[in-house]
Amino acid sequence: MFGLHYKIERSAIGLVTFIVLVASIGGLIEIAPLFTIDETVEQAPDMRVYTPLEVAGRNIYIREGCYACHSQMIRTLRDEVERYGPYSLAVESSYDHPQLWGSKRTGPDLARLGNKYSDAWHTVHLFNPRDVVPESKMPAYRWLLRDPLRTDDLGNHLSALRAVGVPYTDEQVANAALDAYGQANPETAAADGVAERYGSATNIRMFDGVSTRLTDMDALVAYLQVLGNLTDAAHQPNQPEAE
Amino acid sequence: MPFDHDTVVGFSKSFGLFYLVTLSVIALAWTYWPSNKKGFDEAARLPVREEEDRPWR
Amino acid sequence: MIADLTRAERQWAMMILGALGIVGLAMAVAGRNDLLGIHGWIVLAAGLGGFIAFMRGKDAPEPSDDRLNEYYDAPTRLGIILTLLWGVVGMGAGLWVASLLAWPELTFDAAWASFGRLRPVHTSGVIFGFGGNALIATSFHVLQRTTRARLPDQISPWFVLLGYNLFCVIAASGYLMGLTQSKEYAEPEWYADIWLVVVWVVYFAIYMRTLARRKEPHIYVANWYYMAFILVVAILHIVNNLAVPVSFGSAKSYSLFSGVQDAMTQWWYGHNAVAFFLTAGFLGMMYYYLPKRAGRPIFSYRMSIISFWGITFMYMWAGSHHLHYTALPHWVQTLGMAFSVVLLVPSWASAGNALLTLNGAWHKVRDDAVLRFMALAAIFYGITTFEGSFMAIRAVNSLSHYTDWTIGHVHAGALGWVAMITFGSLYSIVPSMWKRPSLYSAKLVEVHFWLALSGTVVYVFAMWNSGVIQGLMWRTYTESGTLSYSFIDSLVAMHPYYIARAFGGLLFLLGALVALYNVVMTIRMPAPATEDAALDIPVQPALQAGE
Ligand code: HEM
Ligand code: HEM
Repeated sequence: MFGLHYKIERSAIGLVTFIVLVASIGGLIEIAPLFTIDETVEQAPDMRVYTPLEVAGRNIYIREGCYACHSQMIRTLRDEVERYGPYSLAVESSYDHPQLWGSKRTGPDLARLGNKYSDAWHTVHLFNPRDVVPESKMPAYRWLLRDPLRTDDLGNHLSALRAVGVPYTDEQVANAALDAYGQANPETAAADGVAERYGSATNIRMFDGVSTRLTDMDALVAYLQVLGNLTDAAHQPNQPEAE
Repeated sequence: MPFDHDTVVGFSKSFGLFYLVTLSVIALAWTYWPSNKKGFDEAARLPVREEEDRPWR
Repeated sequence: MIADLTRAERQWAMMILGALGIVGLAMAVAGRNDLLGIHGWIVLAAGLGGFIAFMRGKDAPEPSDDRLNEYYDAPTRLGIILTLLWGVVGMGAGLWVASLLAWPELTFDAAWASFGRLRPVHTSGVIFGFGGNALIATSFHVLQRTTRARLPDQISPWFVLLGYNLFCVIAASGYLMGLTQSKEYAEPEWYADIWLVVVWVVYFAIYMRTLARRKEPHIYVANWYYMAFILVVAILHIVNNLAVPVSFGSAKSYSLFSGVQDAMTQWWYGHNAVAFFLTAGFLGMMYYYLPKRAGRPIFSYRMSIISFWGITFMYMWAGSHHLHYTALPHWVQTLGMAFSVVLLVPSWASAGNALLTLNGAWHKVRDDAVLRFMALAAIFYGITTFEGSFMAIRAVNSLSHYTDWTIGHVHAGALGWVAMITFGSLYSIVPSMWKRPSLYSAKLVEVHFWLALSGTVVYVFAMWNSGVIQGLMWRTYTESGTLSYSFIDSLVAMHPYYIARAFGGLLFLLGALVALYNVVMTIRMPAPATEDAALDIPVQPALQAGE
């Protein structure tokens, strides 16, 4: 009896062991090399980090599920490069936790959207897309202008991002909420600190067209305007041709 | 540097192929091993056996 | 349910529910300034509600020991009902998002009703709610029948089923509030992910403990597939969801991975979620219920084993076909493509095995809509995997990626394979689960079958057409070498297909409603006279108590 029982136990555990082995090694072999990729991937010394306002905007992009219809990954195909701009490089999303490459284009790719349209256009478009693009299928995000942006916990967001590898400084973490306000209010003292901490290339504007009050719209437009502009790497002439 | 990118990729590619072939051979051999046939035939009849619908103990 | 438990078991259950309530309270307090708090209240309500139910049933008499001589089917029964309910919710959300793409004003200025928030309600609702409950319910049934052992204890099956549904509720309500990690099919946030791991460990333990008590020397192959589903989903889930929460009072977290590593991890997960959730588990269903219903053993048991190891092994490599022509290194793309093409062999081995089993029983397929559901599922499984291997070829994928062709492929698999095999399997066990002689209406099964088939065909053809048109329009050049169409041109061209797809979805949803009605009416049919039941079980009196 003991013998039989022992054998039965063994075959069930053996099956489990085999399944785990067979199933996990493949993924490991394929994924592991990607973690050594930093050695070979394009370098981008000019790579900037997202500002707190842009981080908040990115979170709104995620919250509303924009990634379900818009990709942020221009493939190495000729027609895509002509339609959207230089194809996406790995380094460009290296601060994206998680990446938002997307898998479906109900709307166009957004990887190089930054500075393509004005802030005012984005605000109108997000408020009701059919006001500027009559055939659009995109939802009207009217609540973005209504809802005030939450900034009090942005410092925690930056330190969580730092914990997963984005190089934010102590100073950036400490001033996160203030910087979010400053970036959307160029006439204030808070705005100066933003340029100082995040570089002069940072967009400092009243994104939703209204000063003082920070809305979800401010954050989302700030994020959209920085897409593709964190680094110039993709515009360098030394990239291989698209297929 | 023993673990540079090219080494890891090279290992992945060569070991991947070796691993695929080995596992296929093992799986095929085990499945078609003559002495295993009886067990498989019994197992195959498990769903269609006539018996009362209750546990054995 | 409570009356089926002994006093000691009831105490255990109350301790678990109490602990759950405390966790909920802690979440509600820590997350009082955050959406996490709302989820805390939901968890607290679940724990407290269960606790109160047990308080009220505490003094019910002890169940008789005879219950141990029966299979433990009560969790399966509830699982079947939950499957059908989630099916209606998930497919209803699918119809809604399909309609939003045709008529975008259907959001009515409410954030929760916008496409981006409802879409994950649809995908999680059908995959996890409908598919997951079907897998749990049928796996408990198949496991007991093929081992001839009762589930190992009385509480853990309930823990798995109800705990899993709590996860589904947290997930779906989270999306509506805007809580998502944005990783496709892994959207729920960190605390829901941790909870699912707990549930999953118990699920796995049930499997191992039941297998250890089995009488049959061999483990029937259906269980292999179910076990691969449980084990690999656990691995995938844990790795892909590694993240750092903003704080313990915040629902938001940041993934440990970024950029290209994250993309590969995500699609290693995403593709294998397809492989082990939507394929392996449902193959387990097919390998048991199809031979059983047809009354013939599987055509080739050996082929089912080869297919098993082939699928378990090769799917793991295929994930990178979701990332062709992206910033993922070229060699990884090629590797993924090669394995995806070879994957066709084990896939067709399974589909062929199912159809060859029916060879010689075609008259049954003609007369019995339940068996026809399963036969059709096998055919669609063959079609989908062929299409998938084809789409994994880089050149083909350059056209199909990002378009509705992918959506067509998904739903050929989801409607044609996953949903059909589920409906077929559920129909085949509902009568015996409620001890009824037959289903309420065989005619309604027939109606459902034709609704499901026509809905699937309309949906899939609409998406194939729109996907190919879209892909071609994006890459068409004028003679002077400029792009012919703006993006909006392609969007306008999709409009009629989006309406057709919504119509196909409506047919399919109606079918699911018919199924729900039929099952409810079966349950409400009067139980057969006891003498009839007694004939099957000569030694002991018929047991209906507590069922
Ligand atoms: C009433 C039936 C259904 C309708 C009307 C429907 C409709 C839809 C729609 C409109 C989308 C979004 C497509 C897009 O973004 O362009 C979608 C996505 C999806 N659906 Fe369904 N669906 C139905 C049933 C199902 C079922 C039963 C399953 C699974 C078992 C399923 C799984 C999925 C998945 C996985 C996606 C995501 C596809 C992707 O991201 O590529 N659907 N569905
Ligand atoms: C041999 C088997 C299969 C292969 C090689 C395969 C391959 C593929 C490929 C190449 C894509 C497109 C990826 C892209 O361009 O983004 C895809 C997407 C998808 N397939 Fe399959 N497929 C297979 C079977 C199945 C089955 C049986 C289902 C069951 C429902 C399924 C569900 C899906 C889903 C849900 C997606 C969409 C993922 C997303 O983008 O969100 N596949 N598959």
